[in-house]
Amino acid sequence: MPKVVYVHPDGSQDRLDVPEGTSVMQAAVAQGIVGIVAECGGSAMCATCHVYVDPPDAESLPAVGADEDEMLDCTACPREPGSRLSCRIVLTADLDGLTVRLPEKQR
Amino acid sequence: MAQTIEDFTSTIHLQDLWEDPYPIYRQLRHHRPVAWVPAANRYLVTRYRDVVHLERHPEIFSAAEQDSLMIRVMGRTMLRKDGAAHLRERKAAEPALRPRAVREYWTPIFRKIADELIDGFYERGEADLFTDFAGPMAARSLAVVLGLHDVAPQDLQTWSQAMMDGTGNYGDDPAVWQRSDAAAGAVDEAVDAAIASLRSAPDESVISAMLRADDPLTPEEIRSNIKLFIGGGLNEPRDVTAVASYALLTHPEQRTLVTADPARFKDVFEESARWIAPIGMYPRQTTAEVELGGTLLPAGARLGVMLGSANRDETAFADPDAFDINRRDRAHVAFGGGPHFCLGSWTARAQVGQVSLPTLFRRLRGLRLSDSEPVRLGGWVFRGVLNLPVRWEP
Ligand code: HEM
Ligand code: FES
Repeated sequence: MPKVVYVHPDGSQDRLDVPEGTSVMQAAVAQGIVGIVAECGGSAMCATCHVYVDPPDAESLPAVGADEDEMLDCTACPREPGSRLSCRIVLTADLDGLTVRLPEKQR
Repeated sequence: MAQTIEDFTSTIHLQDLWEDPYPIYRQLRHHRPVAWVPAANRYLVTRYRDVVHLERHPEIFSAAEQDSLMIRVMGRTMLRKDGAAHLRERKAAEPALRPRAVREYWTPIFRKIADELIDGFYERGEADLFTDFAGPMAARSLAVVLGLHDVAPQDLQTWSQAMMDGTGNYGDDPAVWQRSDAAAGAVDEAVDAAIASLRSAPDESVISAMLRADDPLTPEEIRSNIKLFIGGGLNEPRDVTAVASYALLTHPEQRTLVTADPARFKDVFEESARWIAPIGMYPRQTTAEVELGGTLLPAGARLGVMLGSANRDETAFADPDAFDINRRDRAHVAFGGGPHFCLGSWTARAQVGQVSLPTLFRRLRGLRLSDSEPVRLGGWVFRGVLNLPVRWEP
């Protein structure tokens, strides 16, 4: 099962085994990872599942979609080149070891 | 102890909840976080963590309540459907309410409406911001966003109130049904007229989006859902506008912070929606026997999901009764969560946080509460200030 590493603002980490087909947001919420709020439950409408993905991981992700793009302009912490909505990142075998950084706040 | 709590829950009166629900919620959170409350005829879910949990499990905590009064008044709207049937209707409306549409189309119109309303009473030097501003601002804004261009804002407010009174008519008062049925009929007519004109001249509005969706909604579906929008999209921005203004007028240090940095009206909006959630309760029904917050709920149990209490839960928010725009814990649940997460959240944020509040506090110099009458608060299913008499120097 692909692993995802969630890095908290204080540097501490959570590692989760995430079934393929599950989003980075869903896995975090199911395990109660603090720092992903995901109010809208994954419909790209709330911008409270914001994460940062650094290179080289960022390159292996599918491109930012239109809905995701406008939502990333509404995040509580500043948008950066690596900003993504974790509800739009669905795990595949290729993404094993993906590392996402959590912002200071989601609202 | 168990007996005392039973006694307590059975002595909760709706009138006490209406006047000040927060001390009662605190008792419930501490002693029976999922409690059968006879006066409400529901299990009230009062803790933050249980509210968030149930919002994440819509397959067990269903919005499609049986014998729902909302369905009686409005027909079967998206808010009383689950799963794919819900998503289809929601997706049809969504393009009109996403942040980009709000920024490009609605915000400039909101600015114009706010300025016109203030122009109308500016020279008087006094007004009731609830009736003279917050209500008409919310109504005119909603009419534009929905595509009901020929509807008088006052009618929209009357219909909204009449339908919402119907959804709460558990006492089966025939006069209330008469008013809500009349309002629903008037909305049907207005929507039919709007559909006819938006078919030939489409715009960015909700009704136009519903007509143009990949899977367009039928006129019947549009009529029901627009009743939901009118019932649920007017009083809430009105109430946050009035509550936030009241909060700033009674917390001068925080007012100084935001008038120095108007970007912080965003924080005022969020904190006001947390402090006094405009929708204090919404209903759900269990689809199976399930345990929640230490209480075993049978299948079919009717729940009152208490956003007003979750937003004051001391385990989620430090010093929860204080109005504090600088608080660190900010993940309030005033907009609900999960599949039915408020579709109007971005419109409401723009209307209230980016337009109404900054405009009022910029234009009305020396704005202060008037001593003509006290500010009153009321409600628990819906809660807000009921009047807001103010003065300024024209
Ligand atoms: C600050 C203002 C507002 C607050 C606090 C608020 C709150 C809420 C809440 C709590 C829900 C979920 C109800 C439930 O799950 O049973 C909801 C749903 C909804 N809201 Fe809002 N609302 C606000 C403004 C608006 C506005 C301005 C509109 C329309 C333009 C709107 C349209 C809707 C709709 C259509 C739904 C149902 C969504 C669905 O079923 O998928 N709301 N709102
Ligand atoms: S969960 Fe709401 S935008 Fe991702």
